[in-house]
Amino acid sequence: MNRTGRILLIILVTATAGCGGEKASSDPATALTSGWGNYRVGEYSGAIKDFEIALSQGDAAQKRQALYALATTWNLRRPDEDPAKARGLYQQLIKGQKDDLSAWSLLALARMDHLVPIGQVPDFAQVRRAYQAVIDEYPGHPAAQEAFVFQQSTWVATLKTDDAKSCLQSLQKFLVDHPESRYRSSVYGLMAACYRTLKQPDERLQSEIMALETREVDVSNPNLDSSSNYWLIATTAEFDAGDFAIARTYYRKLIAEYPVDARVYAATQALKRMDDTEMQLREAKG
Amino acid sequence: MVTFLRKLRSAIPFLVIFGAFVWAAASIASRRVVETSPDVITIRIAHWQLEAGVREAFTVMAEEYRKIHPNVRVLQDVIPEGTYPQWASTQLIGGTAPDAIEVWMGLTNAIWVSYLNRYFERLTPLVSKPNPYNRGTDIEHVPFRQTYLDGMRGSYVEQMQEYMLIPLAQTAVRIFYNRELLKKLTGLDAPPTEYRAFLKVCEQIAAARDASGSHYTPIAASSYNFGMWDDSMFNVPSYGAVRKADFNRDGYVGNDEMFVAFQSGRLNLHFPNFVTRFKMMSEVSAYFPHGYIGLNRDDALFLFAQQKSVFMTTGTWDALSLQAQTEGQFSVGVMDFPIPSRDDPEYGPTIDGPRYERPSTAFSFGVTRFSKHPEVMIDFLQFCASRENNQKLNALIGWIPAIEGAKIDPFLTGFKPRLNGVYPSMEMILGGETNVTWSQLFSAYQVGQITFDEFARQWEAKYKVDGRKDFDEQQRDWRRGILNDEQFLAGVRATALMASGPEADARWVKYRALTAGRQVGPEIGHAIQLKLVNDGPDPNAPGPYEYSKEVLAKIKARLTSDRAN
Repeated sequence: MNRTGRILLIILVTATAGCGGEKASSDPATALTSGWGNYRVGEYSGAIKDFEIALSQGDAAQKRQALYALATTWNLRRPDEDPAKARGLYQQLIKGQKDDLSAWSLLALARMDHLVPIGQVPDFAQVRRAYQAVIDEYPGHPAAQEAFVFQQSTWVATLKTDDAKSCLQSLQKFLVDHPESRYRSSVYGLMAACYRTLKQPDERLQSEIMALETREVDVSNPNLDSSSNYWLIATTAEFDAGDFAIARTYYRKLIAEYPVDARVYAATQALKRMDDTEMQLREAKG
Repeated sequence: MVTFLRKLRSAIPFLVIFGAFVWAAASIASRRVVETSPDVITIRIAHWQLEAGVREAFTVMAEEYRKIHPNVRVLQDVIPEGTYPQWASTQLIGGTAPDAIEVWMGLTNAIWVSYLNRYFERLTPLVSKPNPYNRGTDIEHVPFRQTYLDGMRGSYVEQMQEYMLIPLAQTAVRIFYNRELLKKLTGLDAPPTEYRAFLKVCEQIAAARDASGSHYTPIAASSYNFGMWDDSMFNVPSYGAVRKADFNRDGYVGNDEMFVAFQSGRLNLHFPNFVTRFKMMSEVSAYFPHGYIGLNRDDALFLFAQQKSVFMTTGTWDALSLQAQTEGQFSVGVMDFPIPSRDDPEYGPTIDGPRYERPSTAFSFGVTRFSKHPEVMIDFLQFCASRENNQKLNALIGWIPAIEGAKIDPFLTGFKPRLNGVYPSMEMILGGETNVTWSQLFSAYQVGQITFDEFARQWEAKYKVDGRKDFDEQQRDWRRGILNDEQFLAGVRATALMASGPEADARWVKYRALTAGRQVGPEIGHAIQLKLVNDGPDPNAPGPYEYSKEVLAKIKARLTSDRAN
């Protein structure tokens, strides 16, 4: 093939190669929506392009949303994350003004301290301070409540009795100070874990029940059902607290509400087992 | 002239390439030529189901649908299993996929989920509304997802938090048997339902001779069928391990809990329930063909169809094909796996109950974003998923309906899921190292190269070392998962931040529920798990499902108090 032919061939191939790639949207509102859509499917370069359009063309509110979106993308994209850039963007949002986005940005910085790369161990003292900063700066804000839950979980996870005792006080105070909090279920769950460490099964049982009763129900997710909660409460009641009344209630709830659950047979056996145990104990007493 | 010919010869490669390009471009551009009038809507549905009845059933459904929607034509693209993953990938990535595609074949779950995320329509908005094709029935007002036997779990993609698919059938595995041959060789009209009686029947069959003097092979089996026998029968007694090793009391024995139980001496391979599994495996597989490990699905099917064997296990997907293949030669019956009874003289103490089967839907279709008529495609799939039509569709195919209240073909009554029972609880594999070791030793045991005692000895020695390596890698994977979840949750939070009104409330509920379930709770559970692996269980504590003395005292005290009141 002569030189002309080769050149024409190269032009033909590259002209029809179809460089699809991520398409960026043109107006800021659409760009923000499109950017998050790209983010969710892992098209981070496309997401960044969209967010940069919103940043350059948007109004003040849209600029802040774009900043937050860019910070999140640079923080959490894998590969090619840029934690330093992400931190800088979050800091811009925090210094700018106090609003929802600055609260969530401060929490994001704390999470970056907590979720270190594989193989590293977090500096838990720093992590707890970072969560405390969110709690102090934005008292009552959902981001602050979430920060509180994460902060306390770092103490609960040590599984040490002193930490569990200290945590319980903080958790109980939270419930008093925030009686309507949407995070109550998580707080009760942490309390149950504390009581587990302290080997206080009756209190643990009550906390598990409260964690279930205050849990928000996401009706759109069929996998977030209560079957495992019922099973946990029933077995804790039967084998740790020795409270057969509560155990029976929750075994029966599992059987009635989740008839195709794999544990229904075991729940049925458990009801019989408890009857037999009580009969034996009565007979032994004479 | 010579110069011209020389120039022409040097241009030939260019001309050939250019010509091929023009032909390819024209082919692709004309690929979807409409052969009918412009008023007709053509929708295409793709699947890999070459089994008897599936294409015919869809054709019937398409004709029924056309009676109500005369302007809609439904065509099928049927792609063989072997090439389905490549075909699906190129179609989706190339943007030429049909209106609906059956999913989950051939590619990893992660890849299908990424395809669903990028190339398929979200169906979440429609699942809470009734299926219009259930009008006039008692489920007329029931949300679409609640009309499914599994609550439409088979449609929900957890990683996306969206309903993405419309499943059209259920699957189950059973043993098929040759009625006439069973009668001829054993005198029985029905197969035994109990283990010892089943073994006796197999022995009788093995002793019999055909017209040429050859032995019969009681059970047609291969490496393909073995897994079904193991999951549905041999491994069921291992449920007893739950009482010893379910340390977190979630009702299941995780692979980490199994490792801890072995490490701490609470379990070993000589645990009676495990021994039952391996003994049953030896006893039943003695009636498989020699060298069954090296045989494949078609080899087993051949044995069965040629009437050299009486029994064969497979799933609902093969039911109609089997009937069709054996029509005129013999009739096929269906039986459940004959688990030993609690009175069994040897295995009785290790049998906790009948086996459990979770109802699971399959034959699941997603609607692609390339569809020019997604609403029509969804409508046709909902048509097939109405109670009446799902029953009809599955009756034609010979499968089990996915919809509540839809009747099962009498031949398939034996396939109704067993919803009350126990399940296998012997998960040894923690990762790559344990997988290789277990597979090697298991295979050696299967073919009789090593005894069970030798298997146990070698496994337990290696498990303590390999298991720890795999567990440590599992922890790194767990940490990677937390980071992935953080990434995912940021997207969920963003949709909540951008929403308003009731939609925002719903999205915040979803966000908080996921955060609690994926980021808060797991850190605590992980810490408990790590402590258990490092320190072992409390040696003074009773088993997870045993009463301690203190608890018995509390129970007694409550009884006394109740009596006093």
